[in-house]
Amino acid sequence: MTSDLCLRWAPMIGARPGELTPEEEHGLAEHLAGCDGCVARLADETALSGMLSQALLDEANRRDFATFSDGVLARIPERAWGGAPGSASAGHGQGGFLGWFRRHRAAAVAAVLAPALAALAAVLYVGQDHHDVPEAAYVEVTSEMGGATVLDTKDGPVVLLGEGEPEGT
Amino acid sequence: MRSAGPVVRIPTAVNIPAGTPVLMEADDLALVTRAKAGDRDAFRTLVVRYQRRVYSVALGIVKDRDLAWDVSQETFVRVHAHLPEFVGDSSFSTWVLRIGSHLAIDSLRKERASSKQNLDDVHEGDLVGGGEGILATALGNDPQQNALRRELAGKMTEALAKLPEKHRTILVLREVEGLSYEELAERLAIQKGTVMSRLFHARKKMQALLREYAGLGADGDAGGEEGGA
Repeated sequence: MTSDLCLRWAPMIGARPGELTPEEEHGLAEHLAGCDGCVARLADETALSGMLSQALLDEANRRDFATFSDGVLARIPERAWGGAPGSASAGHGQGGFLGWFRRHRAAAVAAVLAPALAALAAVLYVGQDHHDVPEAAYVEVTSEMGGATVLDTKDGPVVLLGEGEPEGT
Repeated sequence: MRSAGPVVRIPTAVNIPAGTPVLMEADDLALVTRAKAGDRDAFRTLVVRYQRRVYSVALGIVKDRDLAWDVSQETFVRVHAHLPEFVGDSSFSTWVLRIGSHLAIDSLRKERASSKQNLDDVHEGDLVGGGEGILATALGNDPQQNALRRELAGKMTEALAKLPEKHRTILVLREVEGLSYEELAERLAIQKGTVMSRLFHARKKMQALLREYAGLGADGDAGGEEGGA
């Protein structure tokens, strides 16, 4: 028999413990005590319980999953395997330095190249002509006042006064 | 001497029903830790361990085998991408299945042009002439001995595939992923009352289809109304 009460309580059939409020649990129990239709619904629900889950797993078990994990790993970008250095079995079982190097290729290359580039820059810098240093050609000149050194630079002669520089100059 | 947690090789054909309290949770965490550190073998072990469960959830929701396969693989790609965020506040299997069902539902949403069936109220028409109790009587109380049970189990996925999308989804989330009413309400963004009525409709349609397959007075309304609309 179907009644307005069934409309209210039938959807609650199949609830797990704790999913209904105490009032709902009490009301459902009371309804089931007097409704054969809902008792039958509950019996169907109980009889079929777990069958769907099992059926889907059976379906999955009929399928060949031999290539599944390979497919998953192939979808994961190489850069995503950024584990800690020396992690076990990293890089398809290639641990140690080689495994770490493969996972940190860019950093490793940068670490090797950085000092080399620095050395190259130093060599180039030292080998350059440094025009800010006056080209010096020592020219000894004499004067009545004593000896002096004249540097012949591109900017013109620069006279260096020696220790015997006469007082007052 | 082992450098990390034990690796338990699970045969690929192993059948792990949803909700089974598996003793491998601790082992899962060890594998997750290793996978986070870049250990591909550890991650592959996790994939093999849960691939069929993820596939079964995806298949139940999307019903297409190839799409379910694709969704399942993508699930594990996402799992790997988000491994650093997994802190173990739920079991690894729960976390993986959650990601899988999310992706399956998303894939359906992408394909769905429109949904015309949104009514979830239970009306009188939903309750009459449903053949209640016939299945329970026919199936009896001995699951191991009952040939009809085995036959119906074989028809379950076929019947599931005939249900409307929202009924398939809620049944799988409930029966396979094992979500509670509260979790279903949150996941599907519906009220608890709607969860109950939607489940009711889904089960009723499923039972009607199964009665039809079993030749048990197919007077149900498997392809019929939704909420009396």
